[in-house]
Parts: sequence; C-alpha cells; structure tokens
Amino acid sequence: MSLDVLIRKKRKAGLFKRIGQAVKRDWQLYILLLPAITLIFIFSYLPLYGVQIAFRDYKAVFGITGSQWVGLKNFEDFFNAYYFRRLLSNTFLLNLYALLWGFPVPIIMAILLNQVEWPRFKKFTQTIIYVPHFISTVVMAGILYLFLSPDSGIVNVLIESLGGKPIHFMIEPGWFRTLFIASDVWQHAGWNTILYIAALTGIDPELYEAATIDGATKLQKIRYIDIPHLTPIVVMMLILSCGSLLVSNTDKALLMQTPGNMVKSDIIGVYVYQMGLTKAQFSYTAAIGLFINVINFIMIITVNWISRKLGETSLF
Amino acid sequence: MAYNGVKVRKNIGDSLFDIFNTIFWIIVLIIIIYPLWFVIIASVSDPDAVIAGKVLLWPKDFSLIGYESVFGHKELLGSYANSIYYTIAGTALSVAVTMMAAYALSRNFSGRKFVNFIFVFTMFFSGGLIPQFIMNRRLGLYDTRLLLIIINCVSVWNLMVARTYIKMNVPNELHEAAIIDGATHFRYFIHVVLPLSGTIIAVLCVYYGVARWNDYFTALVYIRDRAKLPLQTILREAVATLTTSTSTDAFFSAYEGDVKGMTEAIRKALVAKYCAIVISTVPAVVLYIFMQNYFVKGVMLGSLKG
Repeated sequence: MSLDVLIRKKRKAGLFKRIGQAVKRDWQLYILLLPAITLIFIFSYLPLYGVQIAFRDYKAVFGITGSQWVGLKNFEDFFNAYYFRRLLSNTFLLNLYALLWGFPVPIIMAILLNQVEWPRFKKFTQTIIYVPHFISTVVMAGILYLFLSPDSGIVNVLIESLGGKPIHFMIEPGWFRTLFIASDVWQHAGWNTILYIAALTGIDPELYEAATIDGATKLQKIRYIDIPHLTPIVVMMLILSCGSLLVSNTDKALLMQTPGNMVKSDIIGVYVYQMGLTKAQFSYTAAIGLFINVINFIMIITVNWISRKLGETSLF
Repeated sequence: MAYNGVKVRKNIGDSLFDIFNTIFWIIVLIIIIYPLWFVIIASVSDPDAVIAGKVLLWPKDFSLIGYESVFGHKELLGSYANSIYYTIAGTALSVAVTMMAAYALSRNFSGRKFVNFIFVFTMFFSGGLIPQFIMNRRLGLYDTRLLLIIINCVSVWNLMVARTYIKMNVPNELHEAAIIDGATHFRYFIHVVLPLSGTIIAVLCVYYGVARWNDYFTALVYIRDRAKLPLQTILREAVATLTTSTSTDAFFSAYEGDVKGMTEAIRKALVAKYCAIVISTVPAVVLYIFMQNYFVKGVMLGSLKG
C-alpha cells in the first residue's frame, strides 16, 4: 500500500472516531436540542416537503405523491390571473408606504426621548409608548371598527357635530392604507424605538460633556453626535426592511378587509388564505405562496449580503 | 448643569428646545393614551351616551351592562378559559424548549454550525401557509388543542437572543469548574445556567405569552370546533367585523329573545364590545407592566447582540 492510501485510511478512521467521540462527549447537548429540532422539523421542514403540491393537482384522496404532476401550470394560472397585478401592487405599495411612514418615526422619537432630562418623565414616557405593542391585532382592528363606525363611532359623531357628513372609513378603499399604516405606527413606533435608544445609550457620555463645555446646543449635539452614531444602524435597518417589501401582513389585512375596500386591501397573503382555505384551491395557492416566498428569500438574502458588505452587522 | 465645577449656563436655544420637546412628548402621550382611555370609559358608560358622543373625557351615566353581557356570554367566557390554557401550556413549553436549545447552542460541539443553520434557515424560507396546513392535517393535528400549543413553539429569533444571553451572562469559568467537579451538561444547565438566566426567562415568557394570547389566525386556520377556539378568534367575530345599521352586532345580541329584548340587546352590544376589548387586553398589558423592568433590559440586549 502506498503512503497516501494509508493516510487516507487513517483519516477516514479518524473521522468515524471523531464522530464517536463527539457523540460520547456531547450526547447530552444533542438531547437538549432534540425537542426544538423536532418541533422545527414538523412545522417548518415537513411543509417544505409538502411544497411539491404546488407542482401537482393536489387531491386529498390521492395523497401528496399520488396527485397528478402538472409542472408549472399553477404558476402560469397565477401569472395570467385577472388579479395578479392588483395583488402584487397592493402588497408592494402597502409595505412601501408603511416603510416610508413607519421607518423615520421611531428614529425621531428615540433622538427626542434621549434629550428628555427629567428621568421620571422619561421612564414614564418609555413605559407608555411600549404599551400599544402588546395589544392584539384583533383589538386594534376592533378599535378601528368601533371608533370609525358611521353611525355610532366617536370619530363620525364628532365629524357630524362639526357639521360634516359621516365617512365610511372601513368601506371606502381610499382609507384602507392610511388606516392600516396609521394604526401600525400608533401601535409599534414606540416599541421600535428600543433599538435606537439602545444605540444612543451606547454613546460615551464624555462626548456630550465635551460638547456642552464647548458650548454646543442640543440641536448641535443631535446633529454632530447622535445622528452620526445612529447612521450605520439606520442604514442597516433600512436595507433590511427593503428585503420584506413583498411580505404580507395577512393577519391585519384580513381583519381590515371589507367588501368595499377590496380594491386596496386584497394582498397576496389574504388571497392565499381565502382561495386556499375557504375555497380549497390548495395547489393553486401553494404555488402562489411558493412563488412569493422564493422572491422574498432572494430579496432578504440580497439585502443581508449588501448590509454585510457595508458594515460588520448582518442578520446571521 | 455643572461639569468639573464649571457652571454651564443653558442657552436660550436649549430652553426652547426643551419646551418644544416636552410639548411633543405630551402630544405623543395623549395620542397613545386617549384611544385606550376612551375604550375604558366607554365600557362603563351608558350606550346611549356613547352613541350620542357625550362620552369624551369621563364615563357618562356609569353602568356595567356591557360587562353583564360579556360575563353572561358563555362562548366568550369559554374561549377566555381556552386562551388561558393555551397560553400557559404553550408558553411553558416554549420557554423550556427554547432554553434547552439555547444552552446547547451556546456551547461548542461538533455539528453546531449545521444545527444553527437548520434553525436560521427557517427564518428566511418557509413552505407557506397551504403546505403547512396540508401537512398538519395529514399528521392528524387539524382541529386539535395540541396543535395550538405546539405550533410556533420555537421562535428562532427568541432562541438566538437567549443563546447570546447565556453566552454573555454565564461565565465560561463556571463551566470549566463544574466539569472538573464531574458535573454533566444536564446538571450544569439546571443548577447553574437556569438560575443565572432569570432576565432572559422573563423576556421569553412575555414574548411567547403575549404572542400566544394575541394570536387569532392559527385557530382561524386550524380549529373548526367552536368549543376549542381561543379568545382572539371569538373576539374577531364580536368586535372586528363590519356592522351596518341593518345587521348590527349579531354577536352579543344573538342571545336575547323577543323584539323588545332585541332592541335592548343591540343597545347593550355596543358597550359590550368595548368591555370585551378591555377584558381581552388587560392580561397582556398587565404582564408587560409587571415584567417591564427585566424586560427592557433584556430586549435591549437582544436587539444589540441578537
């Protein structure tokens, strides 16, 4: 036997030995991981196996592999569907406007909160602005329906008492995005300050002291200390948010959808839910879901790659 | 303000800034608090006063008829009990499973990178709602209480936050000392890691607990038997639907009998909705308020290092 064969044999034996040793040494760690991996397997990896129904004409009686293979037919049906462009643009625009309005607010709030000098007021404010985050989507939608109801809602009662005509907020399509985004900002902007407040807390207090001694005003401190410190994290968050511009907020859109506002509220996630689960078009909607998930995957990987190129930080 | 004995006078610009900043925050606080306050005062007012717009700052014609309707509604109460059960069981399971996995991932072992990848990949790609539905139905989990407890049990994001916390807060020297004393991973995890992880466990409890309590969608997809529905899914029918003057409030008024009872029921139903919102929201907010001291610290840690 030549030398390199011997070495290869030894290496192979070494590999098995190493695995054996690893199991012997770490078996308790594998046991600790087992429940989490099992659950992830059932609820995340088995569906990846089930994704093949997107390429089949799934009939429950035939099972998954027994259903007829139709290739890309379901995808073509979706691309040619009457609602294709509407769904895509509704999903995209809702996210785009939500980003435009929702992204700057927490940053401004964090900077201004950082300048509040009275500690008790600061603490109180911080506690309060996080509260709406803990309200459920159902309650949020419920509050909108109740406050904006044309005959008993407080908003329309006030509009009428000022001589206006009641507005059917939840039915008129023009109001859908505004209400969706405004209520999102109301609920989550406070919570989303956490990241930026944490970044601001990390600034060396000596910088502020030096600036104060040099006679800098608060606005100058914001301009020359806070903003430069926040910029990298803001850029990173902005890039990462662009990765989810086609992700559907199905829960909320489904709650806020009414026959009247379909033109604007029909987004991909809601369509998949309705066609798939209430009309049982499993294969067709699985194809839509797969199509959009692949796009989202590519987008997230891309933005993550970009942010990693730009800075040290990334999602994984 | 004084630094190193030097008195620094506030300039006018800063004083103006402070005034505007204070006004800004007072407005923000009003915007956040008022809708919540309104829900509370409307829930204890007379329905006619609410409809007439007389309830603005304080309860008007104090009454508890809304709460009577809510507490007399068997289905709503049943779903409330369901939610308590799903939340407690689900959260306990989630926290236990997450902490176990987080500890394992915080240690070095062969295959760690691979296991890490298995978890993280699910954050970026999923089969989607429909394949998940089909697979769960084939597993016999459709319309079971078990599904509501074990689905979404591990949030990979929470897992990564917990792992980072353990790495940073449980000194490695402790592990070396424990190994020399002959402790196994199990013993070390239970007797050293868990007692040092109070903060992150509190954070996980709030995260998982609130997420479970507030979830309506999972049950909407997977539960058919109404007796098993959680609160939020029932609440959706009660408050988050379009009501017009002709088909008002079927949820709370469905129980009354004759025409006279019907009109009274419709009247009551309006405040009952506010009451239902109050009783469904209180647990999550109270949990947050109680836990907030741990919480903000832990979340900041997660957001920085996660």
